[in-house]
Formats: sequence, structure tokens, C-alpha cells
Amino acid sequence: MTKQGEVLLKVDNLSVEFDTPRGPVRAVDGVSWQVRAGEMLAILGESGSGKSVSTQALTGILEMPPGRIVSGTAEYRGADLIQMTTRERRRIVGDRITMVFQDSLSALNPVQSVGTQIAECYRVHRGMSKRDALKKAAEMLDQVRIPAAAKRVGDYPHEFSGGMRQRVMLAMALALDPDVLIADEPTTALDVTVQAQILELIAELQAERDMGVVLITHDLGVVSDVADNVVVMYAGHVVERAATAEALEHPVHPYTEGLLGSMPSAELKGRELPTIPGTPPSLRAIPSGCAFRTRCPIAIDDCAAEVPPLLTVAPGRDAACIRRTSLAAKEAV
Amino acid sequence: MIRFILRRALAAVPIGVLVTLGVFALVFAMPGDPLRELAGDKPIPAAVLAAKRAQYHLDDPFIVQYLLSMKDILTGHFGTTFAGADIADQLRLRIPVTLKLTLLANAVQWTLGLFFGIYAGFKRNGWVDRSLLLVTLVLLAVPGLVAYFAAQYLFGVELKWFPVSGVLEGFPRSYVLPALVIGVLGFAGLARLLRTSIVETVNADFVKTARAKGLGEQRVLWRHILPNALLPVVTFIGLDLAGMFGGAIITESIFNLPGLGQFMFQAIKLKEGGVVVLLSTLAFISFILINLLIDLLYGVLDPRVRNV
Repeated sequence: MTKQGEVLLKVDNLSVEFDTPRGPVRAVDGVSWQVRAGEMLAILGESGSGKSVSTQALTGILEMPPGRIVSGTAEYRGADLIQMTTRERRRIVGDRITMVFQDSLSALNPVQSVGTQIAECYRVHRGMSKRDALKKAAEMLDQVRIPAAAKRVGDYPHEFSGGMRQRVMLAMALALDPDVLIADEPTTALDVTVQAQILELIAELQAERDMGVVLITHDLGVVSDVADNVVVMYAGHVVERAATAEALEHPVHPYTEGLLGSMPSAELKGRELPTIPGTPPSLRAIPSGCAFRTRCPIAIDDCAAEVPPLLTVAPGRDAACIRRTSLAAKEAV
Repeated sequence: MIRFILRRALAAVPIGVLVTLGVFALVFAMPGDPLRELAGDKPIPAAVLAAKRAQYHLDDPFIVQYLLSMKDILTGHFGTTFAGADIADQLRLRIPVTLKLTLLANAVQWTLGLFFGIYAGFKRNGWVDRSLLLVTLVLLAVPGLVAYFAAQYLFGVELKWFPVSGVLEGFPRSYVLPALVIGVLGFAGLARLLRTSIVETVNADFVKTARAKGLGEQRVLWRHILPNALLPVVTFIGLDLAGMFGGAIITESIFNLPGLGQFMFQAIKLKEGGVVVLLSTLAFISFILINLLIDLLYGVLDPRVRNV
């Protein structure tokens, strides 16, 4: 399924480093992706792969220092968020681009009512009066299907269940009808049934508004449920980029393949779940060449030579693996 | 709310009994004879001595003396001191003195503490933050007594900026020096606590959320960080305010301010159990009240502890 909407957010060659007492550490290295109106893009990767850092860097909420953007652009409708002044960026981030975070209990201010926190968006970005803003906040709570929304605007975050709280986060992020929603592991802290509800809700609200959604997750199941396209990250690099269905059926990069193989399924019942051997590398000691080669079943000596470039293997499909991209290229010939 | 207050008040009763009983026992156990202390070197006729002893129930058993004192306190018949002064009058004169000193000292302490704490917290590792750490260590290392005498000597005797002692020059002149010393000695702890609390809060997830909402730094600081960072400070301020009375005993004696602390000091010296217990009870009641107020305030500031 290809989406033909306008490109809303285009990240190009983004690199982020952290200054540590033991020297700089590169958490994100040359990452590129884009999201169109109406598209749901999943950024898939395990913890430490740089998926959250990249979005936090481009929205300017990353602590800098110690973080530092080394290179790259992140264009929202052609305007580079990274080069912008903070004041200019604040008009876009929080208004046209909004975010939802993982742990809604700590991501909401514990001493402010949820209504006040949602209303703050209208007050700051739209200059609404307190009363009007609170009324709009109640409407938003209703839109994310919180029962008796009007009665609950005055309640505090700890008075909601985990799923309801994540709905509040969503209401806050969608209050100003943004073009792009960045959802950073929005369902990780929730149990499975609630996860499905929240994902469904995000998909529904997206369809209503034709917004672009960047869904950051480590959960392949989540990706396969809702995402149109997927970007797979490993140790700060994008290793594969494809339409979700294709990536799931014919993974090109061995890391994607490994992830797929380690997904529990009915066919594997009773058997031990395959895993990717080893652990993700420390960002301090990323192997030379391909970062995945130490865990890769098909690695050869050449893999250590240089970082494999992200090459197009088919229309809309990119992968960074010298074994696979050269193979595919040969097949194509 | 009302239930909460009533429950607190009821819980205070047994504690109050224990506190007053303990204080009375301590005074009772002190060596020396109160009336001889009062008379000094002059001989007292045996008949006068006996009459005085009977008047103040000094020959009754401990528990009887205690109960009689408590009866006087609860019925409001405070009686007279050994020296003959009317205790109720004394309280009327002395309570305002202590209140003025304590409130002024707290005003100094809170102003400095909040200002430097907030500043150091928001500008971590800046020069204010670093100097604050140094100043805190120095201030914590200086014993109060030394600071009081040093300030009295330097600003009162040598520079003559403030009266050396007494309240003849009235409020605020007579109170400024002791209040400043108390405030300066106490502000550092408050500032450090607030600074640490802010530094912890700055890294909280909801601050990230606030930034992601596109809020300006000022709004993030005052609406999101501070209300959360102030919570532990409120508890500290409450305990500190309640502890001020203990500090007043020393300060008022050194600066010769006729407040409750000085009264307490004289009463302890003279072994006047009744007065000591009366003042302890007053301190205890104010302690309970302040803590109750702090708890109520805490509920207002933090919805998570409401209705507890």
C-alpha cells in the first residue's frame, strides 16, 4: 500500500552524539526517513538503537548538552527544524508536530489536572481563555473515548488507569489537530488488550485527520498491526526501510530476519523461541564496518571493512547489508 | 477534611500528655533548690521558706505537682512565677516578641533559601550553584552560638549598625540582627534541598512532555518544574518553623529579647517546673498546629496525598 500524501516530515542524514566523560558517543548515525500525510511510519529497534533519540533531537527536546546534533536536517514542509531558532521551533513542535510518550504516569504532570494540561495547549498556542480551553479539553477527552469526559477534566493523572491515562496523553497531543504525531512507545507500558485498543484509537484518529504518524516501537507485533512503512534501526543506523507487508514477508537485512524469527507464533508452539545470538553492542564499542556483523549468521570478512551503505534493493525498499544488497543486485541483473 | 483535623487533634492528646510529663520529670530531676536559687546568698527565714514551698506545692510528690500544674494550665490559671510575676501577663508581653523574631528570621531564611535554591537549581553548576555548596558547608560548620556572639560583637559593638541587645529600639531595628543571623545560618539547608529537588524534577518525563508541547522555558519552569520541586521543601519549612522556638531560647537570651525563649531559659535556671511545662505545652501546641497546616497545604499542592 503506497500513500501518496504530501511529505510532512523529512529527516535526512541525522547524526546525534552524546558527550560523556569518556568521550563522545554516537547514538544516531546518518539516519534518514520521511513521513507523508496519512502514513503511519514505524521506527523499529531495540533499546539503545537510537530510535527515540533521533525524534527527540529533531523536536529539540533532547537535553543538549550532553546531546549534540552533529549533522543532518529535519524538514517540516520544507523548513529545517534543526536550523530554526528555539522560538520558531516552538511554533511547530507542540502545535503542528506533537508527541506521545511511553509511561503516561510519569509523562503527565502529577500536580495538574488533566484538563489543565490539555487546556495549556490551547492557551499557549491559540491564546484561548481558560474557560474555552477547558471546554475544548473536555471535547478532546471525549474524542479519545474517555467515558464521562466532562466530569473527568478536573481529575488528576493518578486517578486514571494506565490505558485511560495514555488516552489523555493522546488527547493532549491531538488537541491542536497536528500534522505529524510522534508516538514514542505509546503502548509499551500497557497490557496487551489495552495496547490493541490504543493502537486502534491512534489509527482511527489518524484516518479522521489525515495526519502522519511516526510510531516508535520495539514490538514487531505492533508494527505489523498498524504501520504502513517500517524503518528498522540497529545501533544508531537505519538497516532496512520498506513497506511493512514486504518487510515482514521478505526481510532483506539479517537483523530484520532475526527479529521476525524471534516472534512467537502459533507454528512455533512447543518449540524454543529462536533468538538473535549475542546482545546489542555498547555504543562505545560498535564493531567496525557493519554494526550487526558480530551477531550475524551470514557475516563474512568484508563486513568489517566499512559501514554498509543503505542501498535500494527494490522500489521503496532499502537495506544496509553488503551480502544481501549485492545479491539482490545480482538477481536484478 | 474536618474528620482529618479532628483525628489529628485527638492523636495529639496522648502525645501531649507524654511530652508534658517528660518535661516536668526532667525539671523535677534537675539538681538544686528553686527558692534558694532565687534568694541567692541572703538567708531566708524558715517560716517564709515553708510558706513559699507550700504555695508552690514543692513538697508534694512528683505526680501531684505535675497534675496540679496541668490543672492550672488547662483551666487557664497560670498563677505567678517564683519571683512573683503574673504568668498570664508575662505571656501577653512575651509572645509578640518571639513571634516577631521568629517570623522575621523565617522571612529572611525563606527569601534567601527560595531565591538561591531556585537560581542554583535552574543554573546548575554555575558559579552561584558552586558557591552555594561552599557557603552551605561553611554555615553548617559554624555553631550558632559562635555566630550570634560574633555578629553581636561585629555589627553591634564595633560597627554600631544595630543595637547590641534588648528591644528598646522596637520593631524592626532591635530584631533585625538576630533574625538575620538565624536566617543566614538556616537558609543554606533550604536552598540546597530546593536545588536538589529542582535538579531531580528537571529530568522528569513530564518536563519533557511540557517541552514537547512547545511551551516556553519560563512556563516550563514555573508551571511544571517548581510546583513539583517545592513539595519536599514544604515539609522542611514546616519542621523548621516548628523548631524555631527551640532556637529562640538561645537567641533571645544572647540578644536579651524578652520573649518566650528567654522566659524558658530563666524558668529552667530557677527549676520552675510549672512555667517550663506551660511553655513546653505552648511549643507543643504550636508544633501540632503548624504540622497540621503543613499537611493541609501539602494536600492543596499535591493531589496525590489528598483525603489521606
